[in-house]
Amino acid sequence: MGDEVAAPGGTVEKVIHTYPLIRHSDMSEEMRIEAMELSVTACEKFAANNELAARMVKESMDKKFGAAFHVVVGESYGFEITYECTTICYMYFGGNQAIVIWKCS
Amino acid sequence: MPPKKKEGQQKSRANLGEDDALEWLKPRQLIKPDEQEDVAESDLVEEVGRILTTLNPQWVLDEVAYHYGRHQFLVKPKPTFGKAYPLLIIAGTAIRKDSEEAKAQISAGYGMVGFDDAGPKKVKVKKSSAEEEEEEEKEAAAPTDEPAGEEDVAHDEEKPADEPKEEAPPPPETVEAVEEVVPEVVEEEAEPDDGQAATLDAALSVLDIKPRVKKLANQFNFCERAALTYNFPRRSIDTQTIPPPRATYGSTALQCIIFDYYTEDYAKKMKEKEEEKPKRMKKKETKHEKTAQQIHDEQLAQRIREAWSILERLVNQNVYDDIAQDYRYWDDPSDEFREGMGSLLPLWKFQFDPMSKHAVCDVQWNTHYQDLFAVAYGSLDFTNQQKNGCLCMYSIKNPAYPEYAVITESPVICIDVYREIPYLYCVGLYDGNVCVYNAQLTLQAAYQYKSDSVRDKHSNIVWEIRWGPRLIDGEASFFSISGDGRVVQWAVMPGELQATTIITLSSNAPPIAGPDGTMLTVNSCGSCICFHPENPELFLVGTEDGMIHTCSLKYNRNYVRSVQGHHMPVYRIHYNYFNNSIYASCSGDWRVKIWEDGRDEPLFMFELGSPVGDVKWAPYSSTVFAACTADGKVYVFDLNVDKYRPICVQAVVSKKTKKLTRLDFNERLPVIVCGDTKGTCHVLKLSPNLRVMCKPPKKAKEVIEQKTLQIMKLDKLISLVRDPPFQTGVVDEKFEDD
Repeated sequence: MGDEVAAPGGTVEKVIHTYPLIRHSDMSEEMRIEAMELSVTACEKFAANNELAARMVKESMDKKFGAAFHVVVGESYGFEITYECTTICYMYFGGNQAIVIWKCS
Repeated sequence: MPPKKKEGQQKSRANLGEDDALEWLKPRQLIKPDEQEDVAESDLVEEVGRILTTLNPQWVLDEVAYHYGRHQFLVKPKPTFGKAYPLLIIAGTAIRKDSEEAKAQISAGYGMVGFDDAGPKKVKVKKSSAEEEEEEEKEAAAPTDEPAGEEDVAHDEEKPADEPKEEAPPPPETVEAVEEVVPEVVEEEAEPDDGQAATLDAALSVLDIKPRVKKLANQFNFCERAALTYNFPRRSIDTQTIPPPRATYGSTALQCIIFDYYTEDYAKKMKEKEEEKPKRMKKKETKHEKTAQQIHDEQLAQRIREAWSILERLVNQNVYDDIAQDYRYWDDPSDEFREGMGSLLPLWKFQFDPMSKHAVCDVQWNTHYQDLFAVAYGSLDFTNQQKNGCLCMYSIKNPAYPEYAVITESPVICIDVYREIPYLYCVGLYDGNVCVYNAQLTLQAAYQYKSDSVRDKHSNIVWEIRWGPRLIDGEASFFSISGDGRVVQWAVMPGELQATTIITLSSNAPPIAGPDGTMLTVNSCGSCICFHPENPELFLVGTEDGMIHTCSLKYNRNYVRSVQGHHMPVYRIHYNYFNNSIYASCSGDWRVKIWEDGRDEPLFMFELGSPVGDVKWAPYSSTVFAACTADGKVYVFDLNVDKYRPICVQAVVSKKTKKLTRLDFNERLPVIVCGDTKGTCHVLKLSPNLRVMCKPPKKAKEVIEQKTLQIMKLDKLISLVRDPPFQTGVVDEKFEDD
């Protein structure tokens, strides 16, 4: 399914999105920017390994904003999560990756 | 249990108890010896009574021994204690209640006391031998047993009538029962006491003590008392904070969803960008909704406008027919007779009425349309500055009116056309701002981009502005140099200009003491900038104190090289089109100098007798350059023809009222344009002597390209000049001893 959609994207318009795009977030401005930058750094650093990227984001977020953050990095998945208010950030990055960051302890 | 029972009577009940207790420890697997006889199940189930008696079965009643003295068997004398021999005898303090002594005591009144007659009297009593025997036996079997209990049991067995033992014939049960009795008896004894204690505790204040007949607990009148301290009831108290609020969120991340969202966002961004551009125009448009009639009217107006412009061209062509003829066909015939000297033929004059008081601060031919040039109207009279400026574009096909004219808020000082997109102009303003104009947009849109006046504009006049190469991300960028001593690179981002300071021009002047003891470093004021034609990182910067610095984009503090080029502000530095190491500079100190990269001394130096506003190399010849001066003259040099004098000096404007400011060679046509301080642009035609091309040497067998010839020509010329020390080229005799 993903391929089908991606294919016309490649042919019709040669636009490659590299910027992070917040889909849903109730974080504070500061936290959101932090999370966004972290995700960008992590995804660029571990472009081939989503697990490591997620781990890096999680550990950094834990350090900065307290424990029990959860991070999911992937290209296609579904999720239904319970999070502490003001700690969710669901974003896209690089045109094909979706990153969810939330806190629940 | 049953198999054990069979083992024999000699097995003591203590052992049995032990086995019982250890039941949980051992796995209940019985190891059967091989020779064990088989017993029927019914026999196993059958209970065999075992009766404990005081009689010692090992006891031989009449033991005889042979007496060697008498030579006969004699009955052995028996010890009093049977087979046991007491080693230590400690007399108890308890007396049996049915002993004489006890009876005596009870009759005397002991035991009538209510609650503390635990030990009535201490009397030593010697136990009877039978008792002792019993005791010994029990002790051997279960030495840990409580002595009181022991006594009890013994007594029970002696006096079977007291206990219900006989009703239950199976011996093991009796044993258990007896065992149970012991604690019961003690408890019985303890209970009333407890009750008493409780009543005492409960009704301490009442103090209602009645002497009563003590209930005899046992044969020894022995009782125990125990008290329990009051145990406070335990309670637990806890509180719970309100948990942080939670919410749930769910979504699905799929490539298609991500793609759609990105596309949507991208479209939105593009739309925003579109709106950003012609904001002013949009506002006006949105004011009135266009009706079909209006659209029709506008289309009609547009067509009429086109028709008018054609008509205007026609009229102009007729009016300026003679000039057009001159431009096309007239070459000064006198050139043939003047050896090496040439002349300039004035053609059109361009003026824009609202800008008649402004000076032409910069003029530049368009790189794509050969007939089009852009003019920056500003003001060079700094004591009496104009309030506004103008960016105009003229076509030589229409000298009457500019093709494009836009009034700016501040005088325009410099201009540069983007080579890739020839309708994109960047301009530098007097107030330090830089703008990008798109000549394709309507005039209402005015500028497309403008630097942020608050955040990152220059704090002084922008003296020169040059488009640079595209950035890594593909954005166009340009550089500006300003009187505040900064060279700034501007990236043309969507909707905004992003400034990066490339270099801050430091000066040799020592820091000046500012207020409160601070030291202010003084920047030298940049006045012109020129990029190396091949290496986009290198650029030359001229300053108002006459220095020419070679800078690199890579260093933002230091200069690559630094030369004291002039003594007055450097107005222009221009690289030769054919040799990348040769450049010309002009200055307010009346001089034009030709430099070679890496040399501290100029190759050529010319004094023009007046501040030189501009110098430009000719695009068609490697040795030709032109300069214009403040006294209204245009000088054209051809170093190949004359190394010391210009081959053409022509007064273009009146010396008294006007000054020439800037000039520019057309890249393809043999014309130059120069601007003056009264807002007029003069287009001049170069006479044939000024544009002599190289003739290939007669010896040459193959055809050599003109460009190669030009390079060779310049190289030859430079090699002549390089070795001997430079000589001052002189224009007029009177300036010789400057």
